[in-house]
Amino acid sequence: MNRIKFIDRMVQGKLSRREMMKGAAAFGVGATMLPRATNADELLTCLEWGGYDDASFFEPYMEKYGVMPNFSIFAGEEDALAKVLAGFAADVMHPCNYSVARFVNAGVAKPIDTSRLTHWNDIFPVLQKSEGVLMNGEIMMAPADWGNSSIAYRPDLVEPDFIADPSWSIFFDDRYKGKVSLLDDFLVVLIGMMVDGQKYDDIYNMSGPDILAAAEKYGNKALEISRFLWTDATTLQQAMASGEIVACYAWNDLIGNLQAEGVPVAYANPKEGMFTWFCGLTLLNTGHADEAAAYDFIDAWLSPETGKALIEGSGYGHSNMKSFEIADPAAIAAMGLTDPIKMMETSIVFRTPDDAVQEEQVRIWEDIKALHI
Amino acid sequence: MSDDTKTNRRGLFARGGLFADRARRREALTGIGLLSPALVVMISMLALPVGALVIMSFWTQNGFNLDTSFTLDNYRRLFARSDRVTEWMGMTFHLAYPVPAILMIKSLAMSLMATVAVVLLAYPMAYFLAFRVTRYKAAWIIMLTIPFWTSYLLRVFSWKVVLGYNGAINSGLMSLGLIDKPLEFLLYNPAAVVITLSHAWVSFVVLPIFVSLEKIDRSMLEAAADLGDSRSRRFRRIILPLSMPGTISAALMVFIPTVGDYVTPQLVGGNGGTMIGSLVQLLFTKQNNAPLGAAISLVMMGIIAVLVLIFLTLIGYWKMRARRAS
Repeated sequence: MNRIKFIDRMVQGKLSRREMMKGAAAFGVGATMLPRATNADELLTCLEWGGYDDASFFEPYMEKYGVMPNFSIFAGEEDALAKVLAGFAADVMHPCNYSVARFVNAGVAKPIDTSRLTHWNDIFPVLQKSEGVLMNGEIMMAPADWGNSSIAYRPDLVEPDFIADPSWSIFFDDRYKGKVSLLDDFLVVLIGMMVDGQKYDDIYNMSGPDILAAAEKYGNKALEISRFLWTDATTLQQAMASGEIVACYAWNDLIGNLQAEGVPVAYANPKEGMFTWFCGLTLLNTGHADEAAAYDFIDAWLSPETGKALIEGSGYGHSNMKSFEIADPAAIAAMGLTDPIKMMETSIVFRTPDDAVQEEQVRIWEDIKALHI
Repeated sequence: MSDDTKTNRRGLFARGGLFADRARRREALTGIGLLSPALVVMISMLALPVGALVIMSFWTQNGFNLDTSFTLDNYRRLFARSDRVTEWMGMTFHLAYPVPAILMIKSLAMSLMATVAVVLLAYPMAYFLAFRVTRYKAAWIIMLTIPFWTSYLLRVFSWKVVLGYNGAINSGLMSLGLIDKPLEFLLYNPAAVVITLSHAWVSFVVLPIFVSLEKIDRSMLEAAADLGDSRSRRFRRIILPLSMPGTISAALMVFIPTVGDYVTPQLVGGNGGTMIGSLVQLLFTKQNNAPLGAAISLVMMGIIAVLVLIFLTLIGYWKMRARRAS
């Protein structure tokens, strides 16, 4: 399992030299370590976003078990789902509100018994009942982290008219050709349609010839303007830091990371709206580890200490109300809105398209990318 | 084996039927025994997976479920015609699902470019090694294998560092004052994929070409020189034809695997650098349509095989082999 994680991260370019050396050293003493690999299936296996495989996000679990779970890193939920469907035995997965349904419909998720989570009652009530958390009367995802998707930009490098009136149209603007980067996702097409005046809630579940025509129009334009479409945050961060790109689709953590490097960067609130996502942990029925360990892991993610780490380290929000009591007030202030209810009212919350629509979107998107010269 | 033992063996065979049979059987068993590790590996690692691909290509994906009833739908889909015309690089495609066909053509073109680049780079290196290096040949050959000491991924990543926005080439040119802002056309396009592939495969190709050059009888060159052939004529009439078989097999060794590559395009190809391997990978993962992916990879295998056979026939490879054998 560790092997899979190692290769995954290597492919995504997220492996530090230290880790690489550690891996290489492991081969040198590999012979003595081989027999242990057979016990590895008792360890919790978690499908996780890059960067979340850090012990500071599940300290209570570490205190109890003393050993990191196996992580397999994915770049998008569809990748992770494909891996599970292909037989990868994971116990816990970190989906978002708009993607939980895919795992449920594929029959690989199981409901969460909230009475086994000690922090459940401290979760914002609005999150406990939202789309993606509560499905058919059962809790399918324990909400943990929430945040935004918007435009991160270099105030020193973009044109003044963007700063005065930020808009998603920067990704379709010829003046920024080769200087911006969008996420490698069908969302690009929806953003294009939003720039043209449509509402996200009207188009997220669109299918058929209309969406195909829109995809060809906006998808191709975005591919032409974007320097590259990003799948891993490290490449994005380096490109922003070097000035290779001046604006990008980004999550909140990029801002903090770049500011820590001393790079001038700002987070826009575009006139078409910024997105809000909230993610959490879903139990999978494919794993081999003890279910109690999975519950401990989820509970650790819901703890206020994790929330503090998220708020202070990444600039993300947390689902536990108590997190905001113990986190550094300066970090909370820097986040802007601290209340998920207000956040959801003032921004666009990602929605879940139907399975068939989702599959069609993925297919259309990959075809457009493939045919782009 | 010395002549002595040979006569002895012949003697044994001559002695009697039973004994000869047993000896022959033992020889056959030894042969099978020697072959079997390779055979086991080939069957378990190649034949069985390919067989699984063939079977899977006749299935269909239905949402999350695999429909295992036999159908040719996947293949039909690849060749189905449509009135909708797709234009790509000045070519028109009347296909309902033109993506695989277009990517196939693109991948073949990119691989071909990489192969030509590799052979042009490797041939002089091999020539130098075979004809100019006289001392420490082994050391030279070991030096050639140094790129193999690191992983392929690391080599691809280092190209990203070299070609990148603030990479080696750009910062070098900028410090020389030749350009005042980084060149952006170096990375994230098909050319970057071709450059990376060429470099990654060069060392695979130098060795086979070197071997075929090394085998050339030096006395032929002397004879040609004695008869008044110039250096370039000697190269054209003796060295080049005699090293052809090695060069061709080396070229195929690059061409065939690079057509299906997907790691390199993913890392340095950017928005326009996708290849057919990328599509197969996506079908098996994100697009969750393994049967279609299987069908595409089998058709791709067939196309490459046919192209290679046509190529070998065109350049008279079979005649070349026959001549060598006689």
